[in-house]
Amino acid sequence: MIKDIRAHVAEKLKELDGVVALRRTTEGTAPYLFQEGDDLSQLVLEPRYPLASVISLLQKRYPEARFGIVARGCDTRALVEMAKREQVDADRLYLLGVACTAEEAEECHCAEPAPDVSMWPEAEVIGTPVPGAPPNPIVAEYENMSLEERQAFWQQQFLKCIKCYGCRDICPECFCESCALEDPLWVERGTLAPAFPMFHLIRAMHMASRCVACRQCELVCPAHIPLTVLYDLIRRDVGDLLGYVPGADIAASPPLSLTLEDAPVQVELD
Amino acid sequence: MEYRNVLTTCVYCGSGCSLYIQVLDGEIVGILPSKEHPISRGSLCIKGWNATSFVTHPDRLKSPLIRQGDGFVEATWDEALTLVAEKLKTIHDESGPDSLGFFTSAKCTNEENYLLQKLARAVFKTNNVDHCARL
Amino acid sequence: MSEPFEPKVVAFLCNWCSYAGADNAGIARMPSPPNILPIRVMCSGRVSPEMVLRAFRSGADGVLVLGCHIGDCHYISGNHRTAKRIPLLRNLLGYVGINPDRLRLDWVSSAEAPKFAKVTQEFVETVRALGPMARDSATEETGG
Repeated sequence: MIKDIRAHVAEKLKELDGVVALRRTTEGTAPYLFQEGDDLSQLVLEPRYPLASVISLLQKRYPEARFGIVARGCDTRALVEMAKREQVDADRLYLLGVACTAEEAEECHCAEPAPDVSMWPEAEVIGTPVPGAPPNPIVAEYENMSLEERQAFWQQQFLKCIKCYGCRDICPECFCESCALEDPLWVERGTLAPAFPMFHLIRAMHMASRCVACRQCELVCPAHIPLTVLYDLIRRDVGDLLGYVPGADIAASPPLSLTLEDAPVQVELD
Repeated sequence: MEYRNVLTTCVYCGSGCSLYIQVLDGEIVGILPSKEHPISRGSLCIKGWNATSFVTHPDRLKSPLIRQGDGFVEATWDEALTLVAEKLKTIHDESGPDSLGFFTSAKCTNEENYLLQKLARAVFKTNNVDHCARL
Repeated sequence: MSEPFEPKVVAFLCNWCSYAGADNAGIARMPSPPNILPIRVMCSGRVSPEMVLRAFRSGADGVLVLGCHIGDCHYISGNHRTAKRIPLLRNLLGYVGINPDRLRLDWVSSAEAPKFAKVTQEFVETVRALGPMARDSATEETGG
C-alpha cells in the first residue's frame, strides 16, 4: 500500500504545490510538505500526527496554493470540521485517503477507520476499508457505573493532570486565539492539579460538536488520562440531542450556535 | 515555500524531552512532541510546548548593552567584552578570586557551559560557578 | 449538634423575562426561598458552561438557569442556544459523578411570578435532598 501511496503522491506533485504527509529521516518521523523533486521513499504513515492542522497553517499562509494531504479517517473528519469553521479551504485541497488496518482501528477504538471522501471535491482512497472497532470498554460500561463510581474514577484521573495544555495544543479543532482555559476567571492559576472539574469539563463542553475522535489528545497526555472517554460520551449526546455527527457531513453546520429552527433538538436527553 | 519539522531538545529541565519545531519558510510557527523519543514518547510539559517563546520575544537583546547612569547604551561586542575583561581582572586583583561569581544558562550549549566554568576555575581560580536556576 | 444543611443556589436570570418575573414575585409577596442568589444576565444564552461550573466551584450546591420561553426571547433566538447547551452540560456533570439534577433549566416569563416562586421552591428542595455539593465533588481535595 505504501508504494501505491508514494506513486500517487509523485504523480499529484506535478500539479499541486505540495502534499502534506509524514516524512521519516534519520532524525525521526514528523509532518512535512513534500514538493516536486523530494525523495518520496521518505513518505511514511506512522506514527500519527494531526496533519489537518498543518494544512490549515499552510493554507492561511498561501491562500492561493493547492495542496494535497495523505489523510486517514481521523484526519479527514478533522478537515471537515475545520472547513466548516473556515480554518481549511476544501476547494483547494486534494485528499489522498488512507484506510487504517484492523489493528490500527482496534488501538484507537475507531468507529470509522477509513476516510469518507464522498463529500470531498477532489479525493481518492487507497487501501481496503475495515469495519469500525468497538468503543473503548470504559465508555461501554459507563451506564453501569454509579455517580459515586464515576466521580471516584475521574477524581483519580484528573489528579494526575499537570496542566500542560497538550490536549488543547495538539487538537486540530482547537484554534481559538483566546482560549477559555487560559482565563484565570475559569481556570485558577497556580494550582496543580487543576481544580475539579473546571479545566476538563470546560474542554469537554467546548469539544461538543467539534471532537472527531482522532485520539491525539489522549496520546499526547503525559499523565495518560483517558480523555476520549468524556469526549466520546459528549459526542454521543450531541448525536442524540441534535442529530449531528462531527466529521460526517461537510454540508451540515455545527448546531450549537444555530437556532432551533435550523438545528432542532431531536430527542430530549435524560 | 518550505514546511518542515526540526528535531531538537527542550532547553528547560534535565529530562531532555525531544520536540519538533515547526518551521514554515524559515519562521517558527509551532511545536510538536516527538512520538519516537524514548523518554518523552509523544508528550511534553507546558514549558516544552512553549519552548520557543523566547526566540522572537521583543525583550530579547539585539546588541550588548553597557550601563550608563540609570540606563543602558548599545555597544559593540568588542567594547562590551573589553569592559567585562578589565572589570573582572580589577575585581579579582583587588578583592580576590572568590569575590567573583559566574552564572551560566540552560539556553547555552553544554560546550559553552564547559567554557565558562573553565574560565571561572582555571583563569579566575574560583569555584563560584552555578546555573541560572539559582537566580 | 450541627446545623441542618441549607443549600446555596445560584440562579442566572435573564433581564427581560425571568429577572422581571422574580421582581414581580417579590412585589406580590410570593414567597421564594432565601437560598437563591440571583445573577442577572441580559439573556439566558449568555450563560456559558464556564459560568455554571464557576458557580459550582465557588460553593453553589445547585445552579438554576431561567430564561424566556422559546419564541419570546428578547434577542429572538438567544435562548435557543441555552436549550441545547444546558442539557449537554447536565449530562456531562453526570458523567463525572456530579448529580445532573443540581443544574436545572426552565422558562419563566415576566408575567409568571407564581411560576418563579414555584420553580425556585421546588429546586431548592431538590438540592436540599441531594445534599451539599462537596459530597459530590470534594472540591477541597483537589486543586493542589
